[in-house]
Amino acid sequence: MRGIWAVAKNTVKQALRMKIAVVFIILLLVLLPVLGITTTGDETLKGRLQTFVSYGLSLTSLLLCLLTIIVSIYTVTSDIKYRQIYTVITKPIRRFQFLLGKLFGIMLLDIVLLMLFSSVIYIFAIYMPKFFKATEDEIVQVNNEFYTARAALTFPEVDVSQEVEERYKALEKTGRLPSESDYTREQVIAELTAQAKLKQRAADVGQALIWEFDNVRPLTRSMFIRFKYDVAVTPPDMQVYGRWYAGDPRYVKTGEQPRTEPFEKILKRSVQTFHEIEFPADVVPEDGHMAVAFMNLPLNRTSITFPRDGLVVLYKADTFTANFIRAVLLILFRLIFLACLGVLTSTFVSFPVAILVCLVLFSTAAVSNFVIESFDSLGSNMSVIYSYSIKWMIRLLPQFDKFNPTSFIVPARLLSWPIIAQCAVFMVFIKSSILLILAFIIFGCREIAKIIV
Amino acid sequence: MEYAVETFSLTKIFSDWWGRAKVYAVDDLNLQVRQNEVFGLLGPNGSGKTTTIKMLLGLLHPTKGKSLVLRGDGKDPRINSRIGFLPEESYLYRYLNARETLDFYGRLFGLPAELRKIRVEALLDMVGLKAVANRSVGTFSKGMARRIGLAQALINDPELLILDEPTTGLDPIGTRQIKDLILKLAQRGKTILLCSHLLADVEDVCDRIAILYGGKIQTQGQVRELLQQTNKIQITTDAISDATVKKIEQLIKDEEAECEIASPLDKLETFFIKTIAAAQQQAHPTSGAVSTTKIGAFLAEETPVEKILDKLVSAPVAEESEREVSITEQVVYNDKATPVHNEQLLTELTGSTETSESQPAVEGQKVEEKQIESQQSHREGQVKKDILDRLTDPSNPTEQDKQTENS
Repeated sequence: MRGIWAVAKNTVKQALRMKIAVVFIILLLVLLPVLGITTTGDETLKGRLQTFVSYGLSLTSLLLCLLTIIVSIYTVTSDIKYRQIYTVITKPIRRFQFLLGKLFGIMLLDIVLLMLFSSVIYIFAIYMPKFFKATEDEIVQVNNEFYTARAALTFPEVDVSQEVEERYKALEKTGRLPSESDYTREQVIAELTAQAKLKQRAADVGQALIWEFDNVRPLTRSMFIRFKYDVAVTPPDMQVYGRWYAGDPRYVKTGEQPRTEPFEKILKRSVQTFHEIEFPADVVPEDGHMAVAFMNLPLNRTSITFPRDGLVVLYKADTFTANFIRAVLLILFRLIFLACLGVLTSTFVSFPVAILVCLVLFSTAAVSNFVIESFDSLGSNMSVIYSYSIKWMIRLLPQFDKFNPTSFIVPARLLSWPIIAQCAVFMVFIKSSILLILAFIIFGCREIAKIIV
Repeated sequence: MEYAVETFSLTKIFSDWWGRAKVYAVDDLNLQVRQNEVFGLLGPNGSGKTTTIKMLLGLLHPTKGKSLVLRGDGKDPRINSRIGFLPEESYLYRYLNARETLDFYGRLFGLPAELRKIRVEALLDMVGLKAVANRSVGTFSKGMARRIGLAQALINDPELLILDEPTTGLDPIGTRQIKDLILKLAQRGKTILLCSHLLADVEDVCDRIAILYGGKIQTQGQVRELLQQTNKIQITTDAISDATVKKIEQLIKDEEAECEIASPLDKLETFFIKTIAAAQQQAHPTSGAVSTTKIGAFLAEETPVEKILDKLVSAPVAEESEREVSITEQVVYNDKATPVHNEQLLTELTGSTETSESQPAVEGQKVEEKQIESQQSHREGQVKKDILDRLTDPSNPTEQDKQTENS
């Protein structure tokens, strides 16, 4: 253990004294305050805050990622190239301990730097309203929409496969299926699925839609429903009537006496734009199980559907600070993964090659969704080879875009612990460990000394 | 018979990318290094000495055969903690200073902080780099780097010391010091595997040698046996009168043997050291290493730590001087001084460091008093020896530049 610590300390010294880390530190310390002053967004306080935090976090994350890649690769490859490793590895330290020491050193550096820079961003974000002498309205707005962590509940996913299957069989029996030459079975199924899903979000005249949500624990007195209507036939004044309900689900489903005072309101709103309804958080029963219902009033003469992003229930579930800390954790997980990747590549290739490999993987990971989707569509043509080889390798990529901290902080969405845990499990415990074990195996087996005859 | 190092038909073949054998670097090598001997591995460049050592320590995998180091695997940390290793060049972290470098290696051995501190200081003192201990080793000349390399190999007070060409880049005084150190360690029951092509060094210190060529042992055995000319006898006397010489000559002629009479030549090494010692009388500052004949106290300890106090009480100075006897000649500081004086001076030097350095492990209070004393005496010595490095240690910028380029 002492040996590991000695190597870790030495790695930090190396990164600092060889001036690799210093460049990045200076760059960030200059750029962050400059960003804080120059970003304006859409000239409102909220826009300013969102742009600054978004740029600040992205920049910190990007530069620290690059730093981690470079330091982790440099520290191992230079020890091998300049042969300091001869005197280190012949001391009572096992090879995997040497790599662990290097990794701990890099992580120590990362943690300190990440804490430093995220504190700078946090302090700027907190004091920004004072710097720019914001008005009362603006402050209320940012308190509701930025300095918060709002949980967003949307349509619960409904499994429609059973229904689709039945419908397909019915069509087949009655012989109403389109001819095979025009549509394949898969295409028909896909079409039916889309229809069934749309049906879940559509209300005919006089019909009601009920959505149920679990574990709703609002921190403030207000909650919001954010919605958008689509209509089959546009009314002349572009507006439709809707009756909204929020509260105990038993009341709307079975007519039982509700345990809490429900919220009910009839509203006339325009179609195809977003609206928000504020309602008291008291309507949520103690067990956190609540329902939101919408009824298409018979006054309308058209069916109403909600687009895919057309309904969100928002409520403050945590503080901005806690959310921010969790966002920083996401960046840390990224760095841990990259450090392991850097250490792995540097155990078998030289500095430039390792850097190239890591940068390619890093940029691929940043657009992992796109990569996965495009490979999936490509792979449908060569399914067997694909599903047993490339698919697994693609799945091993970390999903930096899925766990992007700015996508949570900027719209003040709650970054919940389950998401953090998910990221930790996949990115750190599984993917990073695989890399690290590979590194141990390769480094343990290889010949350290160069061949000199 | 137990061996400190033993190899069983150790073979290393370097092959090309296709796996075709290219070079037999080490070929069916059976080497036995006994416990407590100074073993010299000789051979011209590229004869497989370094490859052998790297295989012993697990830096290279043998193609065939195997090796035992201290009856274990050279990769096992428990074995590693009893080995000191100096590679063919001192590969050091350029950004660490001398003290940090040694501290780092001490930490790798898991030495407790106090012991580490004592040893680092003793070693810095021994290799004469105390004055430049806070300079980064990247700025060191080759000889200075070599000294640090040697110090790092000794920090764990190893049972087995593997030295790969330890004297390259060292000045004659440094070379002599290493030879003295090797002998001292051998007296304490350590085993030393020395790998060199500088024959003079090997001849002075080694008990047994093996000569390698083309990866194979060409010959091995006791140095004395290998070199002794059994058909000749050499007589060395004090300066005697010509008449006596004539008489002896006559006696030899009567035996019908050839004889040659001349004043013996001083070894150049001895002469050089004398000259430098004289120059050291004038104080000159140096930016380089300070050559000393000191040997780190913990390396010279023969008794376990508990007995050190007893040893101090029972007049250790006399003992020390007896132990100081070695095959190589003692360093003479003063041109005019008689051998007796020299020994006393040396005893004083080694004795003073010994008492001051070995004590701290046992008792805190006495340490401080003694250390101050020793520092003072050390400083005097240092000033005198300063000039030496200007003369011997070519720590000029060109040398440094070369090093930077190499690394």
